[in-house]
Amino acid sequence: MHTNIPSGKQVLTTLLKADFITQWRNRRSVVLVLLVPVIILISWKGLIKNFGGAFVIANCITIGLTAIGLMGYSNSIARDRDKGIFQRLRVAPVPSWSIMVSRLLVQLAMILLLTTAIYIAGHYFDNITLTPVSYLLGYFVSIVGGALYLGLGQAIVGRINNAETVNSTCRLVYFIFIMVGMFGDLGMLGNTIDQLVKWSPYGAVKHIIADAIEPGNWSMVTNTYLMVTIGYAIIFSYLGIKWFKWNSNK
Amino acid sequence: MDEPILKVQNLDIFYKSFQAVKQVSFFVNAGEIFGLLGPNGAGKTSTLSAIEGLLKPQNGEIYVAGYNRKQHPLLASANIGVQLQATSFQPELSVSEIIELYAGIYGVDMPKEKLKEILINIKLEDAASKHFGQLSGGQQQRVSLVIAMIHNPPLVLLDEPTMGLDPQSRRQLWERIESMRNNGHAIVLTTHSMEEAEAVCDRIAIIDHGNIIAIDTPQALIDKHQNDAGVIAASRKGKITLEDVFIGLTGKDIRP
Repeated sequence: MHTNIPSGKQVLTTLLKADFITQWRNRRSVVLVLLVPVIILISWKGLIKNFGGAFVIANCITIGLTAIGLMGYSNSIARDRDKGIFQRLRVAPVPSWSIMVSRLLVQLAMILLLTTAIYIAGHYFDNITLTPVSYLLGYFVSIVGGALYLGLGQAIVGRINNAETVNSTCRLVYFIFIMVGMFGDLGMLGNTIDQLVKWSPYGAVKHIIADAIEPGNWSMVTNTYLMVTIGYAIIFSYLGIKWFKWNSNK
Repeated sequence: MDEPILKVQNLDIFYKSFQAVKQVSFFVNAGEIFGLLGPNGAGKTSTLSAIEGLLKPQNGEIYVAGYNRKQHPLLASANIGVQLQATSFQPELSVSEIIELYAGIYGVDMPKEKLKEILINIKLEDAASKHFGQLSGGQQQRVSLVIAMIHNPPLVLLDEPTMGLDPQSRRQLWERIESMRNNGHAIVLTTHSMEEAEAVCDRIAIIDHGNIIAIDTPQALIDKHQNDAGVIAASRKGKITLEDVFIGLTGKDIRP
């Protein structure tokens, strides 16, 4: 009656299938994550003349990435931990990392979907057309920026046990990030805030996306923003992994 | 005699400075139902969690089907079927999808015909597309039990499997557990119901304050302790029951 360990590939494929079905069944929240930046994109049509298409697209993708990390990913992890779903999976012969890798791959798909949706909306509503290289670079830096926000979401879930508190904290952080980020970036909150926003997670991600989709603007400063983004992602992910508990009762 | 399917030796579990489990040792053979009884906070769930691999004991060894839990964690897990106390599955998934998910992660092929057969067997063929949360308590327990047994493991751990069930569902579950025993599975179950322990367990261990204070067959425990003053004082109807022995050994105080 001895049973063997299933192959890693089979485990990951099965987990991925279940996680994608779960994401699909939660498509209302997926639509909301996509809708907010698309609405902002459409409503900011007038700003394109002054700030350029790259600025608007970069802001919208950054807002979407913030939503994916802070509203989608963190809340789903907090809920599943609270309900004991992770504990049920962990008693199976499944390496713990594969549970998280499956979740993160779903979020990676969400990042690509968001970026594509913004590109399409930018093209159709605002006539923003980029070169193929710009589109590809945009995807790449969106993934880097997405990693930052997924790391931040992980850190919040790691630090806070209660799912309701995770939800409210993430909403608050999301609201602060996008309001201060957007208005600070437009110079509406004064020079000091403008400087703070530039080097904040919001500003750093926005800058690398803006310069990636206009590769001619990529400079040493952009490299610095990229390093800052990667630095934030590493710090948040490290804290998220260090603090994370699989069981919210402990 | 064959090696036991589960062997727990000198288990110590600490939560910071609090010792929840103290030098606990026991074994469970194939074709045996072993009950782990104890008041709230006695150390039952901690012991079970260590066997399941959800927490690491500070001392002691656990062998599952001959595999050392520390040295071969995945092999040990692969040989255990688990029904957790608060089993929860992804609420977005249907019953069929949940069964397919766990079949996949235990490496079991699950063609449509086999899935249908399983659903018919647990009388849930009409609920295949329902979400887990839409099922009644008894139906949820049947799904949990099917998942615990999906890979035909030699050891099955059931944490308070009949909690909250009506008498019909409870009886039906007992029959399923006994049928698992008759098929050669070793079963460890925790319960607060002495009636359940007496009805289905071949042997029981009473655990209190992290120690195993008694271990034997239900009838042998009654015979051994029926003349204890504490047990006689706990007796309510003249005839000594397992519950009287349990109260006599663990005390009348309510545990937090």
